[in-house]
Amino acid sequence: MELFALEHKRLWRTPRVWICVLLCFLYSVIWGSLMWYQWLGFGTMNDGTDIYGNSFDGYTAIRDWQEQFSQFGDHWTDETFQKIVADYQSYDLYERPGIQSMGDWFVAYSALEKLYPELQDPENQRYQPLILYADTTKLTDFYQRRADLLEFTLEVAKQNEGMTEADKQMLLDMNSQIEEPWPYQWTQGWTNLSFGWSKLAPYLAIALGFLFSGEWHNSTAPLLHTTKYGWKKLARIKVLSGMAFALELYLLIAGGKVLLQLIYLGTSGWDLPIQYVRLLAVAPWNMLQAELYELAFGLIGVFGYAALVMLMSALVKNNVLALVFSLAFVYVPDILYRYLPKWLLAVSQYLPLVGSSYDIYGYNVFHIFGLSVWSPWMLITVPFLIGVVCIPFAILKWSRRERV
Amino acid sequence: MELAIDRLTKNYGRKIAVDRVSAALTPGVYGLLGANGAGKTTLMRMLCAILEPTSGEVRLDGKDVAAMGPAYRDVLGYLPQDFGYYPTYTAAEFLAYIAALKGIPRAAAGKKVRELLGMLELTAVADKKIKTFSGGMKQRVGIAQALLNDPQVLILDEPTSGLDPKERVRLRNLLSEYAGNKIVILSTHIVSDVEAIADQVFIMNAGRFIANGTVQELARQVKGKVWELTVPREKARLWQEDFTVASYRHEGENVVLRIISEEAPDPAATACEPVLDDAYLYHFGAKEA
Repeated sequence: MELFALEHKRLWRTPRVWICVLLCFLYSVIWGSLMWYQWLGFGTMNDGTDIYGNSFDGYTAIRDWQEQFSQFGDHWTDETFQKIVADYQSYDLYERPGIQSMGDWFVAYSALEKLYPELQDPENQRYQPLILYADTTKLTDFYQRRADLLEFTLEVAKQNEGMTEADKQMLLDMNSQIEEPWPYQWTQGWTNLSFGWSKLAPYLAIALGFLFSGEWHNSTAPLLHTTKYGWKKLARIKVLSGMAFALELYLLIAGGKVLLQLIYLGTSGWDLPIQYVRLLAVAPWNMLQAELYELAFGLIGVFGYAALVMLMSALVKNNVLALVFSLAFVYVPDILYRYLPKWLLAVSQYLPLVGSSYDIYGYNVFHIFGLSVWSPWMLITVPFLIGVVCIPFAILKWSRRERV
Repeated sequence: MELAIDRLTKNYGRKIAVDRVSAALTPGVYGLLGANGAGKTTLMRMLCAILEPTSGEVRLDGKDVAAMGPAYRDVLGYLPQDFGYYPTYTAAEFLAYIAALKGIPRAAAGKKVRELLGMLELTAVADKKIKTFSGGMKQRVGIAQALLNDPQVLILDEPTSGLDPKERVRLRNLLSEYAGNKIVILSTHIVSDVEAIADQVFIMNAGRFIANGTVQELARQVKGKVWELTVPREKARLWQEDFTVASYRHEGENVVLRIISEEAPDPAATACEPVLDDAYLYHFGAKEA
């Protein structure tokens, strides 16, 4: 325990590490969340042309929107839908520019375009969005139309993308568990649950990439190897302190974001279905479940990536190479996505911090040992397994005798 | 206690770094002398069990040190040739960290750290970052960490590099005092470092022990091969080209050369009493050494 405390302290007191943590916190929590809620995302738009011109009043603006949309009822029915569309049509957008990005009309907008295509005006020369002119009296049978479109979409996927009948049925079964009518409140605040965990990769790589290779860089490796515990025990302690650091960074970022979310959005809206984010999503999840998945996805991604970085650090004796290889796992698939074979690109999505938690809105299904597995489960299983596999190899590599 | 080196060999591809080296070391101070590239550091690393030999083994009291693992490292103190440290650590913090790695309980470690800092005259700078230290001070921190666990086998690779003459003398005295019933091995290419304290000296070249014995024995090996010759200053260079010259001393318009040679280099040359330096140069030659 004493050795762990010393090693953990040593990691944190490195200027490189705390500068990384500070930058990560400033970028992800202060800029990415605080500024987003208070200014860029929810601050009142002044001229509607540039989010940097928003007022610094997100907190009160969110309260106003929550209040305003509570008038449309507490469940999403045809009547709610009609009222929201009518409400939108009642605004003079020249007087309140940018207002459409704040209210819940995006839900109505998406539903109109997808479920009521027959209301499109073929003579619409000005290419106005349907929500501006749709006849609200014709906005009926919302849930039936959604079910029909979902059935059709899955059938197309079956015909063209290799989805099996069993997959389709599995997804439809999931969808059937969504309770109707959906509860409703102002949903805009919950539409972007993604924390963008891949942004943590450079900070983790810089902080942990030197964990083992740094000992070679400092020429301390031969010395450590000749101490009683400098062999395997130190390797285990190093991995443990690296994991503890990764967890602390994760808690700092996730905790900061969740705290700000609670401050700005409050707790109301946790039970809204994720179908407000993507109309044809089949997962019978609410926003809280989606957020928990997001947090689990992030935690496992951070764990898996930290292990991968430590393995790289143990494999090479050079700090720069350890950093480059670690970052390559996250960024090379992105950079080379045009050139990589489709299967390799698909596989790369399962590397820690590479894939997206957005799959919870999708239909990807894998077949493993005869079981159909929905892709979001793979996205949190595979990075975890990668992490589990990397750890013993990192320990083993450090524990091997020095090669001069 | 006996540290047995049994036909220890290390090859890097076709290059033989250490070639079937054998020795039996009992408590005492051992000096390992050799030019750069002679294989000293490779041998030291194998003695520390951080480098796997190609063949042969090192045994402590009959047990293979590689198999002993932590039990061997528990009685081992090692100062690597390139002593590494954490730049942001103070001397006291660094020693406390190494003490934890050596499994020394916290309370005992604190006491030992203070004791060693005092012994190596580092108390005044104990709370200063090592990166601000001079080369000699860093080296003393390195020596302190090697002594933390009161090792039975102390291996010091070039411990005097970076030390000024006063510090070197202090280190020699410290090691002499420390040795007692322990095995102390120090490698160096500075003959005077081992001359003063080593009970036995090994001269290493091309991965082999080419000579060993006490300082007196090694010196005796070159008895009758060390000469002094006074020559005019302008001719000194010619003598240096033809013979191994151990020293070069001005005397008026002449130069007194100390020459290592199997035969008298000149009828005017007089035989003189050899020292370890002469033995070293005899084996290596002035240019190689």
